[in-house]
Amino acid sequence: MADDYDAVVVGSGAGGGMAAYVLTKAGASVLMLEAGRDYDPSEAAMLNLSHDAPLRGQGTPDKEFGYYDATIDGGWNIPDEPYTSAEGSKFMWWRSRMLGGRTNHWARNSFRMGPYDFKPHTRDGHGVDWPVSYEDMAPWYDKTEKLVGVYGNNLGLENHPKASPGVLHTPPKFRVPELFVKAGGDALGIPVVPARRAVLTKDMDNRKACYWASPCGRGCGIGAAFQTTTSLIPWAMATGKLTIQTGAMVYEVILGPTGKATGVRYIDKASGAHREAKGRVVVLAASTGETARMLLNSKPNGRPEGLANSSGQVGRNLMDTVGSSLSAYFPQLEGRPIYNEDGAMGLHAYIPFWDYKNVAEGKTTFTRGYHMEIGGGFGEPGIGGFGGYDGYGSSLRGEVKKKYGARFGFTQRGEMIPNAKCYMEIDPEKKDKYGIPVARFNWEWSEHELNQVTHFQNAVKSLVDKLGGTITSDIRAPKDAISTGGEIIHEVGTCRMGSDAKDSVANSYGKTWDVDNLYLTDGSVFASKAHKNPTITILTMAMRNSEQIASRLKSGEL
Amino acid sequence: MANLINTTIRNAHLVSVDRRTTLRWLAAATAAGQLAACGEKFSGLAWPEPPPITAKGYGKDPNLAAPKVPWPLTLTKQELATTAALADLILPADGEAPSASQVGVQAFVDEWVSAPYPDQQAQRKLIIPGLAWLDTEANTRGKTTFDKAAPEIQKSIADDIAFKDKVKPGLEKPAEFFTRMRSLTLGAYYTTPEGWTQIGYPGNNPFTTGPYPGPTPEAIDHIRGVLDTMGLKLVFPDNGKL
Repeated sequence: MADDYDAVVVGSGAGGGMAAYVLTKAGASVLMLEAGRDYDPSEAAMLNLSHDAPLRGQGTPDKEFGYYDATIDGGWNIPDEPYTSAEGSKFMWWRSRMLGGRTNHWARNSFRMGPYDFKPHTRDGHGVDWPVSYEDMAPWYDKTEKLVGVYGNNLGLENHPKASPGVLHTPPKFRVPELFVKAGGDALGIPVVPARRAVLTKDMDNRKACYWASPCGRGCGIGAAFQTTTSLIPWAMATGKLTIQTGAMVYEVILGPTGKATGVRYIDKASGAHREAKGRVVVLAASTGETARMLLNSKPNGRPEGLANSSGQVGRNLMDTVGSSLSAYFPQLEGRPIYNEDGAMGLHAYIPFWDYKNVAEGKTTFTRGYHMEIGGGFGEPGIGGFGGYDGYGSSLRGEVKKKYGARFGFTQRGEMIPNAKCYMEIDPEKKDKYGIPVARFNWEWSEHELNQVTHFQNAVKSLVDKLGGTITSDIRAPKDAISTGGEIIHEVGTCRMGSDAKDSVANSYGKTWDVDNLYLTDGSVFASKAHKNPTITILTMAMRNSEQIASRLKSGEL
Repeated sequence: MANLINTTIRNAHLVSVDRRTTLRWLAAATAAGQLAACGEKFSGLAWPEPPPITAKGYGKDPNLAAPKVPWPLTLTKQELATTAALADLILPADGEAPSASQVGVQAFVDEWVSAPYPDQQAQRKLIIPGLAWLDTEANTRGKTTFDKAAPEIQKSIADDIAFKDKVKPGLEKPAEFFTRMRSLTLGAYYTTPEGWTQIGYPGNNPFTTGPYPGPTPEAIDHIRGVLDTMGLKLVFPDNGKL
């Protein structure tokens, strides 16, 4: 790797893929370093039968999200690459060691952040504001969504902005259980509206429209469900300006004598050799945890606080989405006419946050919103889905058939407020197989999140009551019902952006305050964690940041 | 029938541990004072722990196109026979619908209890002693193993443990075993193509081109009727102006 590049991009997921795409399109030469192996999306086992997989495809510690899940060499635990949680904390960290990273298997839920979401501190005094407003971001969301391909509604509900005309694809029709729940929501003033997902419903460029089969988590070889390995990365490759090095475990950013980054050091996993990659600009998009880990492990001139950390904020402000869920059973859905209900294999409908008025008037015990991801119906039966029956014999057949399609799930996805007890640091003792000091996580939910869980539980109860159903899961106390930190895989915030170098790591373009040619384009730069799933915003921020990098490269400023 | 043949082939490589071995193991357990002879005396029994699985899993990058079960199967012939009999008691053939054993549920149970993962290992500790208990109980009531017992004996055993409000006192552990075997049998059955046919799941199948067609007119009429009786209204969603 003697060559020098215009840009070295670390990571190939949403942030890295977008950076490589924008920079190569602008004529820059890019080296992309990916810690995992190469991945061809045609490996996706899209139409394989669960029946043919070990344990009928059931998740195991080897493949937590099921045998056919696209994740390779990843999951909650990677044998050679541990992480730790501080005493009294529990945190879960999902990683994928493959080209395209977690974009190969994500749920594709793509909800734009709104005006409130960028200025949370202004609204309620908690956390910090972003250094950008929704108005700054709106055109970038349009450009990104148009490129990525997102289906969804364009209703323009409060704090749920519209896309410009022509951006969104037509969302798929509601299925019967969704229509049923919508009727209940209509009666209660709870909106049940078409969801937005990064799934094509019409052909676009080299990608095909969804063919209404194959769980998106298996990866989408036809390119309908967005992932960087069917889009941004091949498009960047087509420019002839992208070089990809897989199996490259980056552990440190090299700082030159003038205070600029000159490249990164990595371990070639196959040979164990330590190597350097040089570029005029370094872009970290290795994921919220890995990006912060690299900065904290980079100790130019022996500075113990790490690189780009004069603010002391690297690793701080770690956030994840508030998660909890309840299951319901609706006798009214028993024995309904059968038809193919697979659809887009994900959300057609969802419940955006609707209670802004009560929040604004101080009538709630929390200040930030959540949405509900909802679903159920005639899906593929799973090996684990047959508890709760009684007796034996042929009568069970009728019971199974009666209950099929009558279960429905409600999942909370809520905003967390950053707090001083949630952060990532470097474990003082433990190292991974490559000798790299590992991440140690600290975590504690606050009452803001716990109170939000109660609101969700009450809302679901009222909706299920209205619809004559029963809640079949235990309604646990919020502290027991809430997800473990990291479990929703929306971790963000360890290198937050801000308008002041004293309390943030990067400026509004993801440029670190301390190093003029070191940029961050992943979820680490999030200043807050709206309830909206982060990937579409990571992609959008990465596009905006990378356009700035490209123009600075062109002008010779970098 | 294709499945049945596959099952047979897959079982052919099994270590030939026969009924005598199982009974020997049982005898040892009884001698150790762990097993009582019949149901009433069963309470307080230390459910004997089967040997653990030491095989490896399929790893974090298995071949998705040609899936294989890499761990050795461990059920004995007798355990498989008892599993098949129990599975068929839970889900017998019914008209066109095959029985549980006809779609190979016993082979799946073997794959399941032989798997090296924590969930399956925990269930192994319930299921293998449970199968032995069934045989012991059948021996007490009918002088034979469960699979060879007359249907009325099989049913009399099941009636003691299969109904959640009518579990015979002292048989809580066998009832827990039965509950697990029922969910496993149903799960194994309805995840086969034959099971899909029974339940009406059309399969993971790109069945159409163009937009997702949504519910059939019949399905729409039905849900509209349901909502009417509840005083609720069917309203299709508004997408806004795209």
